[in-house]
Amino acid sequence: MRRNLDCNGIDHLIARREFLWGSAAGAIGLGTLTSPLNAARLQQQQKRVLQIYLQGGVSQLESWDPKPGTQYGGPFQAIPTSVPGIHISELLPHTASRMHLLSLVRSINSKIGDHRQGMLFMEKGRRAGDYPYFGSVVSKYLAPTDAELPGYIHISKRGIVDSTAAFLGARHAELKLLGDQAPANLVSPKSIDEPADEARQRLRVHFDRRFSQQRSRALTDVYNSSFEQAEKLMKRKAMFEGTVSEQDLDRYGRHDFGRHCILARDLLENGATCVKVTHHGYDTHAENFNFHLEQLGEFDKTFSMLLDDIHDRGMLDSTLVIVYSEMGRTPKINTKYGRDHWGTAWSVAMGGCGIQPAAVIGKTNDEGTEVVEREVDGGHLFHTYLSALGLDSTTDHDVAGKSIPIGDPAAAPIEELLA
Amino acid sequence: MTRSRVIVIIGIVIGSMATHSRTLQASDALHVQIDALISSHSDFKSPAAITDDASFLRRVSLDLAGTIPAANEVREFLADSAPDKRIKLVDRLLGSPQYARRMQYVFDTLLMERRPNKHVTAEQWQAYLRESFLQNKSWRQLAQELLSADGTEEQTRAAARFLLDRELNVDQVTRDVGRIFLGRDLECAQCHDHPAIDDYLQRHYYGLAAFIKRSYLVQDPKTKKSSIGEKADGDVEFTSVFTSETDQTAPRMLDAPPVIDPPPGEQLYKVKPEKNVRAVPVYSRRLQLAKSLTDDANRAFRENIANRMWALMMGRGLVDPVDMWHAQNPPSHPKLLSLLADSLVEHDYDLRYLLRELALTDTYQRSSRRDALDHGSNADRAIGFSVALLKPLSPEQLALSMMRATGVAEQQLAAAISKQEKTNDPQLALDPIWQEEALNKALASDTKVFVEIFGFEGVQNAAFDASADQALFLRNGALVQRWVTQKNGLSDRLHALDNDAVAEELYVSVFSRLPDADETLFIQEMLDATTDRKADLQQLVWAALVSTEFRFNH
Repeated sequence: MRRNLDCNGIDHLIARREFLWGSAAGAIGLGTLTSPLNAARLQQQQKRVLQIYLQGGVSQLESWDPKPGTQYGGPFQAIPTSVPGIHISELLPHTASRMHLLSLVRSINSKIGDHRQGMLFMEKGRRAGDYPYFGSVVSKYLAPTDAELPGYIHISKRGIVDSTAAFLGARHAELKLLGDQAPANLVSPKSIDEPADEARQRLRVHFDRRFSQQRSRALTDVYNSSFEQAEKLMKRKAMFEGTVSEQDLDRYGRHDFGRHCILARDLLENGATCVKVTHHGYDTHAENFNFHLEQLGEFDKTFSMLLDDIHDRGMLDSTLVIVYSEMGRTPKINTKYGRDHWGTAWSVAMGGCGIQPAAVIGKTNDEGTEVVEREVDGGHLFHTYLSALGLDSTTDHDVAGKSIPIGDPAAAPIEELLA
Repeated sequence: MTRSRVIVIIGIVIGSMATHSRTLQASDALHVQIDALISSHSDFKSPAAITDDASFLRRVSLDLAGTIPAANEVREFLADSAPDKRIKLVDRLLGSPQYARRMQYVFDTLLMERRPNKHVTAEQWQAYLRESFLQNKSWRQLAQELLSADGTEEQTRAAARFLLDRELNVDQVTRDVGRIFLGRDLECAQCHDHPAIDDYLQRHYYGLAAFIKRSYLVQDPKTKKSSIGEKADGDVEFTSVFTSETDQTAPRMLDAPPVIDPPPGEQLYKVKPEKNVRAVPVYSRRLQLAKSLTDDANRAFRENIANRMWALMMGRGLVDPVDMWHAQNPPSHPKLLSLLADSLVEHDYDLRYLLRELALTDTYQRSSRRDALDHGSNADRAIGFSVALLKPLSPEQLALSMMRATGVAEQQLAAAISKQEKTNDPQLALDPIWQEEALNKALASDTKVFVEIFGFEGVQNAAFDASADQALFLRNGALVQRWVTQKNGLSDRLHALDNDAVAEELYVSVFSRLPDADETLFIQEMLDATTDRKADLQQLVWAALVSTEFRFNH
């Protein structure tokens, strides 16, 4: 699955043409790439992504890769899970009983101990440069053209909007929802009632009809479709306004993260393609153990309920679930009982669509201070996620004037993790 | 300047008599030569007609002054019967303070790509750019200032923003110098020879990096201000991640010969490096970068800016995307690009000269409409500039144009003038530069809202796109609604008119043109049937403002 590096020549052009014509699998072994035919099939299958981002850097030692009783292990025990032989931290009892739906990668060495740079590496699969985030790539290749919701929705409590789409364009940029609040400007101005609003939309279309005569529609179509998308969001207003059932609140928890995950479930069920939920508060330079007890307590139950709902509704086979951070935390415990930034040996969890369940990839040494088996980084993970969704991450984005490899050509998918 | 004016005038006379089959003369004005090269290209078929006066006025006002024309300007221009009124208009716009503001926005976006301010305030930076264009500073001089300012002197500190706000990160600066000044994105060459693009070689990347590598940021422990220091030694070595081959390079400008350091004298430093001390070497590779980059031998420098100015005016680069020049993406019109670049050097990198010539071409002045449009073809490139391309308005153009159309700009300017007239310097209110500044200041915060919604941080060469939250902002947001319902603004003005006069005022104010008979009738019938005239007029103004016709420069 290595990218063909000698791809400038005529072979590449031929392959590319065939790619465009949809007879993809031939020529020079580009593999199962996304011909328009395949893309249509993928869309029919409604593949989706749920990203749970544990912001700040969750401690691998208090979650997916516990080392109880060792020098840096900390006070918590490891517990058995629903998969014989896999143990995770006792802070995750609900998740442990659903381990057969998930897999772990315990051998990440991203070499980045910085929040922003680490986050960008995990999102873009590249250490530097203006590349699109994973969610924007998913929106581009998996969101149906007539999707009822924007392709990439991010639910977070904090308000910085990142430029996530790079050259893929604003349609694939994240739509940021501040918590379970509706997006900004979802309601018509007070003075304009529904008939008036419809009338002014008709006027807008009327003006466009004359302007578009004898002109190229390439750009005007894009502009008009943004109004159609806006209209769809407005019609789905009720979903954002959260008449959340008591029963859901009892199960998910009466806290922000609980409400955000209920919204994420509803969005995925209603045609969203990639939904990211950020859970803040893992940057535990002091009191690492108390904070993880609290934060993971909130995460564990809520995430498990969300996983159950996705599973019970028959969506898990078509939904890739990823639980990740921008980095891990140091084995060494500092003088404030904290753990600091650490990119050298840490873990993520994933499951669902295209992922082999109940697998553990890679290994750290006994004290968790380095990776000793199957070292990977954000580049490999990026390839793996896309491969799990049936997209060939070793092909190129087709952007005017240039060919841009979708995944970093220097990395490759973790094949043994793919179903 | 005088000489070139004479040539221009002769050129216009000749050009107006010329047919396309006539042999070109070197003495022809640049715009005549441009049209000849465009129309002789094999992609150039069934060209669109020259556009009408109203759409020319709107187009060139947006491109050179950053906003649509005011309603009275539209009426005056349409009434003017002078045969050279388009030339006069171009010259008036290029000499206006609005031109400097427009270029400030264009070059701010080009150079800093809407990144947040760190070491230099937005005010300082914007004032520096605007002043540069008010003086019509040459692009060569501007580029040299940007790369050689070290941030220590208050007068030149703003120019240092290009380096300071990139934290003088070698990779970031190398990539951006390649893209922004040379039209070449060398990013992938950082780790290995670009897998898809064989002439982006690692040594191009590291050759550029070697100019910068010795420079670094120093923070003054007292003032906390950062400035640029430089060491006298340090070479760049690179290893390919694919072949593990290692190579070393001295500073070099793409394929030009390496720039070897002069033999070291007794002194390596003017100021020696020490803790908290800004080192200054006797020989500075960074200052050498400003020289080598802008040297006449470096064709990429002039071709890049010529291509970018072409793209600004014509909606598409001759190399497009404008920072992706490589063997697989060559210029569509190589001779033309050489001509533009060389003319620019002959005129000492005078951008105003180049923009003037571009604005005077038939190519620029073609209609964006044509009779036989192949809707199947989506490729702008394939039509060889035979029809004008749509250009989305920048966030600033969009905000200013909406405020002008709705009468908000006019009211704000009147308020600023009347305030100034009450001070002890009432004469100042007559000064066009003062007026432009006062208006810009009054509209700044609303303009910024548009930049936040419609602008994006980072590389600016993405194709036009529009997102749902932008449409929600236009549709339901309070700001546009405030402009539409502005007291004594356009809606109120329309309300005071008879039904048969509304269409003309609306179209002239918003679309900068007269309505045709159908359009006039449509609006008259709509108003004859209305039950809430005031509200309906507001809907009409809103729909016109968010229409495709308004969203694009066409």
